[in-house]
Amino acid sequence: MRLKRTLPVTILAMAPAAIVLLILASILYGAKNITAGEVWNSITAFNPDNVDHQIIMSSRLPRAVGAMMIGAFLAVSGALMQGMTRNYLASPSIMGVSDGSVFAVTLCMIFLPNANPNLYIVSSLIGSALGAAIVFGLAWCIPQGLSPVRLAILGSIVGTFLSGVAHALSTYFQVSQNISFWYNARLHQMNPELIRLSIPFAIVGLTLAVVISKSISALSLGEEIATGLGIRTWLTRALAILAVVLLTGVSVALAGKIAFVGLIIPHIARFFTGSDYRWVIPVSGVLGGIFLAMCDIVARFINYPFETPVGVVTALIGVPFFLYLIKTRGGAGA
Amino acid sequence: MKHASLRRFWVVAAFGLLLAATAAYLSLTNGTFDMSVMDVIQTLLRIHPQAEHDLVVFEFRLPRIVLGALVGFSLGVAGAIIQGVTRNGLADPGILGINAGAGLAVVLFMFLFQGAVTATGWLGVMLMPMFGVAGGLLATAAIYMFAREQGKLDPQRLILVGIAIASGFGALTMYISLKMNPNDYEMAVVWLAGSLHNANWKFVATMLPWLLLLPLICIRSHVLDLFQLSEESQKSVGMPVEREKNIFLLCSIGLVSASVAVSGSIAFIGLIAPHLARQLVGLRHIRIIPVSGLVGMIMVLTGDFIGKTVFAPAELSVGIVVSIIGVPYFVYLLIRSRG
Repeated sequence: MRLKRTLPVTILAMAPAAIVLLILASILYGAKNITAGEVWNSITAFNPDNVDHQIIMSSRLPRAVGAMMIGAFLAVSGALMQGMTRNYLASPSIMGVSDGSVFAVTLCMIFLPNANPNLYIVSSLIGSALGAAIVFGLAWCIPQGLSPVRLAILGSIVGTFLSGVAHALSTYFQVSQNISFWYNARLHQMNPELIRLSIPFAIVGLTLAVVISKSISALSLGEEIATGLGIRTWLTRALAILAVVLLTGVSVALAGKIAFVGLIIPHIARFFTGSDYRWVIPVSGVLGGIFLAMCDIVARFINYPFETPVGVVTALIGVPFFLYLIKTRGGAGA
Repeated sequence: MKHASLRRFWVVAAFGLLLAATAAYLSLTNGTFDMSVMDVIQTLLRIHPQAEHDLVVFEFRLPRIVLGALVGFSLGVAGAIIQGVTRNGLADPGILGINAGAGLAVVLFMFLFQGAVTATGWLGVMLMPMFGVAGGLLATAAIYMFAREQGKLDPQRLILVGIAIASGFGALTMYISLKMNPNDYEMAVVWLAGSLHNANWKFVATMLPWLLLLPLICIRSHVLDLFQLSEESQKSVGMPVEREKNIFLLCSIGLVSASVAVSGSIAFIGLIAPHLARQLVGLRHIRIIPVSGLVGMIMVLTGDFIGKTVFAPAELSVGIVVSIIGVPYFVYLLIRSRG
C-alpha cells in the first residue's frame, strides 16, 4: 500500500520540472532554431521588433502550452469515461464526442460566419454535449450497448454520421475549405486568444473531475457496489459527462480532432497508480499533457521542415496500443 | 413452400432491377445539363445524333451510372459474404478496415507514380486495383493476426481490431496525402470520400474482370449456408472450414478492393444491403447474394443521384450520402438485435 502511493506522488512531484523542460524544448526546436538565451530574453525583456521574440511569444509558446493543455484535457476525459462506463475502450475520440463538436462548429461557421472566437468554443461545447448525448443515449437503449464492442461501433457510426452531415452542409454552403483548414487544425495554428478563452471552461471541467474522482472509483467497481457505498450514481454520471463535455469541447475548439490520447493515457496512468481514480485522474492529466507535447515535437521532425499533423503521430503510437489492449482484454467487459 | 420462396425471389429480383433501372434513368436525364427524355432516347438509339448530347450521355453520365451499378453490386455481394463467413451481422468491409487498407495502397500508388503513370491512363487504371487488392489483403492479414486466438476467429474481437486497423491506415493515408503535390492531393481527397465523380469507361473496364468472381461465389454459395451451423456441425459435414473461409474472404477482398480503387471508399453498402436482402428473400445464400448485390446497386445509384442533384451546383460524394442515410438504419438494426 505504501509503495502504491509513492509512485503517483513521485510522478506528480516531478511533473512541474518535466513540463517546464518540455515547453522549453518545444520552443527551441522547429523550422527556425532559437537559442535558449533568446528565450530567456524574450521573457525578461520582450522586444516587439525582434523577430525571434515575436515567434516565441505569438507562436511557439502558445503552441507548447496548448499541446500540454489539450493532452491533459483529453486524458482526463478518457479516464472519466473509462471509469464511469467500466469500458476499457471508452475515450473521447471513439465516442463521437469530437465529431459532435466538429459538427456544431461547422454549423457555426455556416450560419454565423463573422462570429468571434468565443462562440466557436461555445458551439464546440454544445456539439460535444450533443455527440455524447446521442452515443450514450443510444447505448442505454440498445441491449448491452455499453459493452466495449457495441459502444465502439456506436461511437464510430455516430461519428461517421455527424461528420458526414457536417461535410454535406459545408459542401452545400461552400465553406468546406474553411472547415478543412479547421478540421485538420495542426497545433502550429494555435490561437493565443482561444487558449485564454478556454481557461475558465477548463478550470470548471478539471475541478469537477477532481471532485467526483472518489465516486468514479466506486463506480468503476460496478453499479451495485457504488450504490452500496452510498454513491449517488446518477449524479456522478451526470457530472462526469459534464466534465467530459467541457474538457473535450474545449480541446476540439483549440486544435480539432486528436485521437488516441484519451484512450491510451488512462491505461498508462492506471498502470502506475492502481485503480483509485483520485490518483488516476491527476496522473492522467500530467501524462496526457507530456505525451501530446512530445508527440507535437516529434511531428515537427517526421517530415522536416514541413509540419505533420500531430494526429498522425498519436495514431501511429495509439493503434499498436489499441491492438494490444484488444489482444489482452478481448471483447468482454472491463 | 419451396416453390413460393423461389417465386418470391424472382419477384424481388424483378422489382429490384426495375428500381435500379429507374434510378439509372433519373441519373441519365437529370443534371446540370438538362436533356429531355426524347433527347436521351434519341441519343442512345442513334437517331439524329448530336455531338453535344453524345458527349454528355456517353462520356459523362453513362459511364458513371454503369460504374455505380458495378461498384454497388460488388459491395453488396462482398458484404453478404463477409457477414456470412463471420456469422456477424455487424461485419462490413468498411468497419473491418479492408476499405482503409485498399485506400492506403491506392493513395500510395498515386503518390509513388505521380506523373509517371497518370491515374486515368490505361496502365494506371489497370494497376490501381491491383494495388488496392494488395492493400486489402494486407489489412485482412493484419486483422487475422490480431483477431485470432487459439486458432479461432472471435467475431467480437474482429470488429474491434478492424476499427483499430482502419484508423491506423487512415492516419497513414492522411500522412501520405499531405506529402502529395496539390493537384494529386485534391484528387486523393475527392476520391477518398467515395465518389463517382471521375467515372469513365476505363474504370468500368477495370471493374469487369473482378466480376468474374461472381459466378464462382454463386456456385459455392451453399457453403456459406453451412457456415451458419455451429462449428461442430460444420466439422461433421466434413467441410474443410478454414480453406473455404479463406476462399470466400479472398473473393470479397478482391471485389471490395477493386471497387475502392475506382470509386474510393463507399461505406455502409456492405453492411446494410445483406440485411435488407435477408429480410426480402430469407436465409439461403444463393438468393441472398444476388439480391444483396441488387440492393447495393440501387443504393449507390440513388445515393449518387441525390448527391448530384440536391446539392447542385456543388456535388456531394455518394459515400457521404449513403452514410447519412445508412446510419439511422444501422442504429435501428442495433436496437433490434439482442446481445
